[in-house]
Amino acid sequence: MSPATPSPIAFPDVILPQSASQLRTEVRSFLDEERARGTVLGRPDSWLAGWDPGFSRRLAERGWVGMALPTEYGGAGRGFLERYVVIEELLAAGAPVSAHWVSDRQAGPSVLEHGTDEQRRFFLPRIAAGQCFFSIGMSEKGSGSDLASVATRAERTTTGGWRLTGTKMWTGGAHANDYAIVLARTDETEDKHAGLSQFIVDLRAPGVRIEPIRLMSGEHRFNALHLEGVELPGSMLLGRRGDGWKQVTGELAFERSGPERYLSTFPLLVSLLRELEQRSVTAEQLTHVGILTARLHSIRRLSLGVAASLDAGAPADIRAALVKDLGTRLEGTLTETVRSVLPTPADPHATPGSHPELLAFALLHSPGYTLRGGTNEILRGIITRGLEQH
Amino acid sequence: MNAHTIDTSAPVICADAYDATVFYADPDAIAVVAHTTAADAVALPHPDASTAELLAAAQEAGRRAVPAPFAETALVARPLLRRARLPIPDGPLSYALAPDLTIRYAHPAASGVGSAGCSGDDDALLVTGTLRRVPWARAAGAVVVLATAPFGPVLFTLTPDQAVLTPGANLAGEPRDDLHLAALEIPASQVRRVPPDLLEEAGLRAALARSALIAGAAERCVGLTVAHTTARTQFGRPLSRFQAVKQEEARLIEETALVRAAVQAAAAPLDTGVPAARFAVAAAKTQASASAAEIARIAHQLHGAIGTTRLNPLHLATTRLWSWRDEDGDETHWARRLARPLTAANLWPALTTEP
Repeated sequence: MSPATPSPIAFPDVILPQSASQLRTEVRSFLDEERARGTVLGRPDSWLAGWDPGFSRRLAERGWVGMALPTEYGGAGRGFLERYVVIEELLAAGAPVSAHWVSDRQAGPSVLEHGTDEQRRFFLPRIAAGQCFFSIGMSEKGSGSDLASVATRAERTTTGGWRLTGTKMWTGGAHANDYAIVLARTDETEDKHAGLSQFIVDLRAPGVRIEPIRLMSGEHRFNALHLEGVELPGSMLLGRRGDGWKQVTGELAFERSGPERYLSTFPLLVSLLRELEQRSVTAEQLTHVGILTARLHSIRRLSLGVAASLDAGAPADIRAALVKDLGTRLEGTLTETVRSVLPTPADPHATPGSHPELLAFALLHSPGYTLRGGTNEILRGIITRGLEQH
Repeated sequence: MNAHTIDTSAPVICADAYDATVFYADPDAIAVVAHTTAADAVALPHPDASTAELLAAAQEAGRRAVPAPFAETALVARPLLRRARLPIPDGPLSYALAPDLTIRYAHPAASGVGSAGCSGDDDALLVTGTLRRVPWARAAGAVVVLATAPFGPVLFTLTPDQAVLTPGANLAGEPRDDLHLAALEIPASQVRRVPPDLLEEAGLRAALARSALIAGAAERCVGLTVAHTTARTQFGRPLSRFQAVKQEEARLIEETALVRAAVQAAAAPLDTGVPAARFAVAAAKTQASASAAEIARIAHQLHGAIGTTRLNPLHLATTRLWSWRDEDGDETHWARRLARPLTAANLWPALTTEP
């Protein structure tokens, strides 16, 4: 690697603008109000498990859902780094953001980039108002990391619409949300990356059957989304027929590098500090907390570097893969370190919000951190593929 | 090779390119490196350069294993001299922070004991004790010492020839010399009373300089490892095509990126001042020191047997990583300093404070 070529090691360092500090202060006072309401509970993994449509709507009233969408579509026209500040504040506080999470992170930007003007005018103002919640329908039973092998089919109907048949797996929140963006095969092609297209599916439409997939904790977050000959009007094709793969992979850098990839268990570290404040702390406990804090800080700087790259419209898929591998491994390490720093039997039935209950919750969720959004082993392959390009 | 004609345009000025014993014994040789104008060489940045520029240069020096007190001079000794309003000598410099010394007035006042204890006619000092493992002491034009005198925190300078020098070295063979001072008189012109927070700033500067060197050595590990796994063929294909190798290589890159990001993030806070820099510098040195083991482990594992020898330059980076992680405070020291002020309420604000 010569120093002149962009390297996966050298990320831009970001100093957030003054406007970001102001915004941060506003979000913190909003969170204080919500804490007083009892809605912000400081729980881990709140972007998956904290479902509260009322909270989402109040957040939207402040302009903090779909905030990077243009004002003509009901957004706040704010920058990507400002959105970053808002979501990192929400996640660090363990605020219940899962209802609007996919709408805000993926559906909004995707409809804005690939959608027709009709789709933009219909969906974007509703997303920004916190009144339209999306799920993602990508994975299937035989199609996990190898996403291009999806078997769900979309066939043209005689009336110019589409008929979807197949089953999507791990469709988070489908039982509660309004729409799903579904990746389906529209055309048989030699290259399996071609011939895929994205559709917007109304989750209440006839032929949609939602079957819960319970997590090991017993929680109902994910579903099998059965599409049993679901008829869609032609206007529900998202983007161009055959461009589905390109559209999906274009979103991945956004999906992989955000603060949700290293902050999922952060509230557990806060809980640990709360516990330690009531005890005399040993030097060894301090060391563990310091090592974790340094790593959190360093990963956050990398993640901000990706956000700045994305904001500047630069390709960031390799850097995003790097941040996700580092960040999600830290989420697991943090949980294990908290356990050893203050030996506590994890107890899912302890008082909600107590340290043993939060530890149990973080542990039961921990295998998912390095799987969701692209298995880390696959991501590491992306990182080294980047080296060969240099 | 003659020690005075070091080829600074080589991709790496490596310890194998010269006779280490001769080189380290000859301060002029080190000055040559520090002042080189060769096109591809690392030259000492201008003293007015920003901290970010100095860190980038120190990182490059770390990457090349430059055999000179480059980071020590640019990021620690010179800024401290400037803060103390002492002239900055040309050439390589070093430092000793908070050493265990006995310091007395060289010229005690005839009036004897005042309200603040003993007083002196001037600030000339009489210093006794040992400065331990001073980086590149034998090659430094001056050593900046920060210590506590009878009247409070003080910065003074001395030249190595004023002391008895016991040579020492770290794992990489870099000089780490002990300087024994026996009732050495430091003239008042070389002594400055300094604010108490300069001692802390000096520690932060040294830790960050060392972190930048670590980031550079880590980057060298990545470069050498990628080159090796691409060139080396086994079972009919390059090592880099093996999944097991890719997985490790990715982690090596990640850990290196992490250290680099932590170092970069401390530049602006250090320019802002000690309170702003405390968190960022402690985090940078904690991360740099904590990552060194994994970076060296993966680089060596992927190099195979050749990396364990002097036939390959990898040792220049890894022996430095193993030394530098301990110098100017190891990860345990800095992790504790980082964690001590943290509470449940201020952890997140600490992570998100902008310089």
